[in-house]
Amino acid sequence: MSLLAVRGLVVRMGALEILRGVDLDLAAGEIVTVLGSNGVGKTTLMRAISGVYRPARGSIQFAGEEIAGLASHAIVARGIAQAPEGRQIFGAMTVAENLRLGAAVTRGADRAASLDRVLSLFPVLRERYHQRAGSLSGGEQQMLCIGRALMAQPKLLLMDEPSLGLAPKLVRQVFGLIAAIRAAGTPVLLVEQNAKAALAIADRAYVMDGGRIVLAGEAAALARDQRVRAAYLGGHVGV
Amino acid sequence: MFDRFDIFFVQQLVNGFSVGLVYALVAIGFTLIFGVLNVVNFAHGEIYMIGAYAGLLAILVLAPPWVALLLLVLAAGIAAGIALERAAFKPFRRFRDEASLKSKAMRESTLLSSLAISIVVRESVEKIFGADMQAIPRAYADAMQEPISLGELAVASGQIAILAAAVVMFATLQWILKRTDIGLSIRAVAANPLGAQYVGVHVDRTVIATFAIGSGMGAVAGLLIGLYQGTIFPAMGFAPGVKAFVAMVMGGLNSIPGAVLCAIVLGLAEAVATEFFGQGWADLVAYVFLVLTLVFFPTGLFGAGRERV
Repeated sequence: MSLLAVRGLVVRMGALEILRGVDLDLAAGEIVTVLGSNGVGKTTLMRAISGVYRPARGSIQFAGEEIAGLASHAIVARGIAQAPEGRQIFGAMTVAENLRLGAAVTRGADRAASLDRVLSLFPVLRERYHQRAGSLSGGEQQMLCIGRALMAQPKLLLMDEPSLGLAPKLVRQVFGLIAAIRAAGTPVLLVEQNAKAALAIADRAYVMDGGRIVLAGEAAALARDQRVRAAYLGGHVGV
Repeated sequence: MFDRFDIFFVQQLVNGFSVGLVYALVAIGFTLIFGVLNVVNFAHGEIYMIGAYAGLLAILVLAPPWVALLLLVLAAGIAAGIALERAAFKPFRRFRDEASLKSKAMRESTLLSSLAISIVVRESVEKIFGADMQAIPRAYADAMQEPISLGELAVASGQIAILAAAVVMFATLQWILKRTDIGLSIRAVAANPLGAQYVGVHVDRTVIATFAIGSGMGAVAGLLIGLYQGTIFPAMGFAPGVKAFVAMVMGGLNSIPGAVLCAIVLGLAEAVATEFFGQGWADLVAYVFLVLTLVFFPTGLFGAGRERV
């Protein structure tokens, strides 16, 4: 039984059909990655699941409940948090305020617990706790972005390009974190440019093209697939 | 201590400061709403007027004590602000992505819809109560005019009340924005509406709260100033609205401390101008400031590189 089940999802922007019927499943405890070139609809898919975009057709079931068309705050409240593309942190606010906003949907006692958990997962955020988020380095901002999403105590974490723009050492750290988050019981739906690293960490993978899923399977199998290797695992991509 | 001219001049500055606080009270609500929605709320002056009329009605019908009166007016302002948001702004927020939330089309349509609401409200009040200034019951009018002497200077109790109201409102607003969940949400939506959606901020509720807070403050300002100046009439919101708008632009459009500071500077400058050029020219000061700001400081005096709201 899937925790997340996306069926026939269509998202339009004006006359353009960005998603043209996407099917995707994620079971509890899994890391699932979505691969594809720029502009094939990966971020649109993530935004539709988070309720930032309203789907034109199709269904998104989360823990057996239909969530397609719900507002973003209602979806976060049901347990789907996202560390979005471009981080979208609040640069003029402090790290503390950013984390507190991440916990907007939780209650007082839970907040203290998730704050403890996030700060022990990201010690650097404890050091920078009262600094402006905009003054953090790119890597620290990414940690803040992930930490902020975890503050909501999600049952499913969406991550959109968490390694984008980071130095190789930090990229390894981010992938280590994704594994740790899953090990702590939170499944992850991961969109990544770094296909090799994503396939190494994921249980299953989907490949998108032109607003559709064109390949799906075990991550290890896809990593050996000739088409995937040619398109996404060429010499120019690597950890 | 002062010679005759000096004491008169200082007295003028004190009065100018008080006028500046009046503009500041209006500018706070204006700037708050602009910061969050990036739209100019042209009906803010009418909220100010509604506050004065609601207070006057309460005085005539109930003759409540001051605290109850201010709370009633605060409630009326909050209700009017929420109604305004539902009528003039909500219908244009059908789309939830960032581009639409702060788009030019959204700005222009709400600019016109809020202007339309402001005209309807003003004309309705005129139809019901007449266009003339309302008589204010003596007890309340006199309470605002008790002379209080500070050395050689004289201030009216109403000026002290306006100062107190400005300080309390500014402090309350900073407390709300910095310490409460809803304040944090307001700042989040102002800074990054997309990021706010990702963390689960209830954007619609946040926008309503912004209007409620800004309008509640505007309504209280309208009552205090209407009672102090004895000027409660349907178009009373226009002049302070214009001055508050200038203060908001000078302050950088979305800086509340900047708008408050510029409003006080504007009040002082008008008082000084009266001293040198005569009464009729004082209103020109605001427009000169506006033009100078737009030409030489297009992002405002406090605008660039700081947090919205």
